[in-house]
Amino acid sequence: MMAKRNTRGRILKLIPFISVAAFIISWQLIVELGVVPKMLLAAPLDVLRLFIDKLTQPHPDGALLYVHVLVSLEEAILGYFFALAIGIPLGLLMGWFHTIEGFARPIFEMIRPIPAVAWIPLTIFWFGIGLSGKVFIIWLSGIVPCVINSFVGVTLTNPTSVQMAKTYGASKWKIFCTICIPSALPMVFGALQMALAACWTTLVAAELIAANTGLGFLITMGRRLTMPDMVVLGMVLVGLTGFVIGVIIDAVEKKLLAGIRR
Amino acid sequence: MASQTGTTTIPNRRQPPRRLIKVLFSAFGNRYFLYTLSVVMFLTFWDLAAVQKILGNFLPRPIEVLSQLMSLNTEPLASKTLFEHLWASIHRVLIGWAIGVSIAVPLGIFMGLNPYVRAIVKPVFDLLKPMPPISWISLSILWFGLGEESKVFIIAIGSFVPCILNSYNGIRLIDPALYDAARMLGASRRQEIVEVGFFASAPAIFAGLQISLSIAWSCVLAAELVGSRSGMGFIIILGMNQSSPALIIAGMVVIAITACLISVGMDRLENIVCPWKRELPQ
Repeated sequence: MMAKRNTRGRILKLIPFISVAAFIISWQLIVELGVVPKMLLAAPLDVLRLFIDKLTQPHPDGALLYVHVLVSLEEAILGYFFALAIGIPLGLLMGWFHTIEGFARPIFEMIRPIPAVAWIPLTIFWFGIGLSGKVFIIWLSGIVPCVINSFVGVTLTNPTSVQMAKTYGASKWKIFCTICIPSALPMVFGALQMALAACWTTLVAAELIAANTGLGFLITMGRRLTMPDMVVLGMVLVGLTGFVIGVIIDAVEKKLLAGIRR
Repeated sequence: MASQTGTTTIPNRRQPPRRLIKVLFSAFGNRYFLYTLSVVMFLTFWDLAAVQKILGNFLPRPIEVLSQLMSLNTEPLASKTLFEHLWASIHRVLIGWAIGVSIAVPLGIFMGLNPYVRAIVKPVFDLLKPMPPISWISLSILWFGLGEESKVFIIAIGSFVPCILNSYNGIRLIDPALYDAARMLGASRRQEIVEVGFFASAPAIFAGLQISLSIAWSCVLAAELVGSRSGMGFIIILGMNQSSPALIIAGMVVIAITACLISVGMDRLENIVCPWKRELPQ
C-alpha cells in the first residue's frame, strides 16, 4: 500500500514536466511537419533563434529587445504607481468619510464600467501617442481595483474596535488612521496584484493601437511583417515579464504583511 | 444693562442661519443628495472645461455628446445604426464567451477532481495564463484574418482563464466536512460529485462566469479597435479617424451602460441560479 502510494506520488510529480515537454515538442512538430504553415505559426526553436538575434540586432522593428522591455516596463510601472498613489488613499477615505464617498462614488461608478481599452482613441487625442497617453490609460485600468479594495477593506473594519475607540474619545481622524487603515491593509495588498494584472493587460492594448517601441508594438510589428516568430516572442516576453513582476510583488506583500497575518 | 440685552438678543438673531446650516448639514449627510450634487458638479465642470477648451478641441460638451447619441440612433453609420453595432458586439461576445466557458468550466472541474488531469493540464495552463488575452490579437489575425473568427477567438481566450481558475478553485476549496458528511451518509463517489461538489462550487463557478463576461466585453472592444467594420469598438475608432471626439464619447457611454447592464444582469441571474450562495464579504 505504501509503495503504491509512493509510486503514485512520484508519477504525479513527473507528469507536469512531461506535459510541458510534450506541449513544446508537439508544437515544434506541428510546425516542422507542415501541419500548420510556417507563415502562421513559428516553432519554438525559431522563436528562440529570433530571441538571440534580437538581443544584438535592432533590424526588423527598429529597437533592441531590451529597449522594448524597458519601455513597456517604464509605462506600466509609472501608470501602476500613479494608480496606487491616488487609488488607495481615495478608496480608504471613501470608506470612512461619508462626504467624500458621496462626492467621489458616483463619478467613480460612471467611469468604472468603461473598459480601459475604450479610452485609447480619446487618449490619443488628448495626450498624443507618447508616454503620457499610455500612462494615463494604464492608470485608469489600475485605479479601479485599488479604489474598490481599499474601500471594501475600510468598510469591513470590525465595528467593535471602532466603538471602543469612540468610547475612549478618539477623534474620527484618529480612528481612521489607527484602526481603519491597518485593518484594511490585507485587502489593499490584494489590490496590488489585481492592479498589476490590469495594468499589464492594458499596456499591451495601448501599445497595440499606437506605439513605436514596447512589447505590444513588437507583437503588432510581427503581424504587419507576417513574422509569427516575432509575435510569439512578444507574447512570451509579455507573459514572462508580467509573471516576474507578479512574483516580486508577491514577495514584497508577504514581507510587509508578515506582522498582520502572523 | 446693555450687555445683558446683547446676550439675550444675539442668539435670537443667530438662530435662523444656524437652522439653515443644520439643514444644509443634514443634506450633506444624506447620501443621495451628495450623489446628485456630485453628478451635477461633474457635468458642470466637464461643460466648463469643454467651453474653455482646456483639452484643446478634443473635449466636446456633454450636450454635443447627447445629440450625437440621438443622431446615431437614426442616422446609420457604415450602414448600421447604433443598435445594430451594439448587437454586432454583443453577438461576438456571446459566441466567444459560450465557446470559452463550455471548454473551461468542465476542464476546471476535472482539474479539481482528478490529480492526473491536474498534473497534465495545470503546467501548460500556467504557461499560457500570464499572457494577456489582448496579446493574442495579432496571432489570431494571422490565423483567422480580420473576420468574425479572430474576434471570437480572442473573446474565447479571454473568458477561458478566469473560468478555468474559478471552477478549479471552487471544486478544490470545498469544505472537506461536506464530503465527509455525505460519505458518512453512504454517498457514492458519483453522488459526492454530483450532489455535493457541484452545488458547493456553483457560486465560485458563477463568479468565474461573471468575471469572464466582463473581460470578454473589453476583449471585443480591443479586437474591434484593431480591425473591423461593425461593433462598438468600430464606432470609437471611426470617431478617432474622423477626429470627432463626440462620437468617441457617445460610443464610450453606450459601452459603459452595456457593461453596467451586463454586471447587474449577471447579479440577478446569480440570485436565481444559485440562491444558496452565502453572503460573502466582497
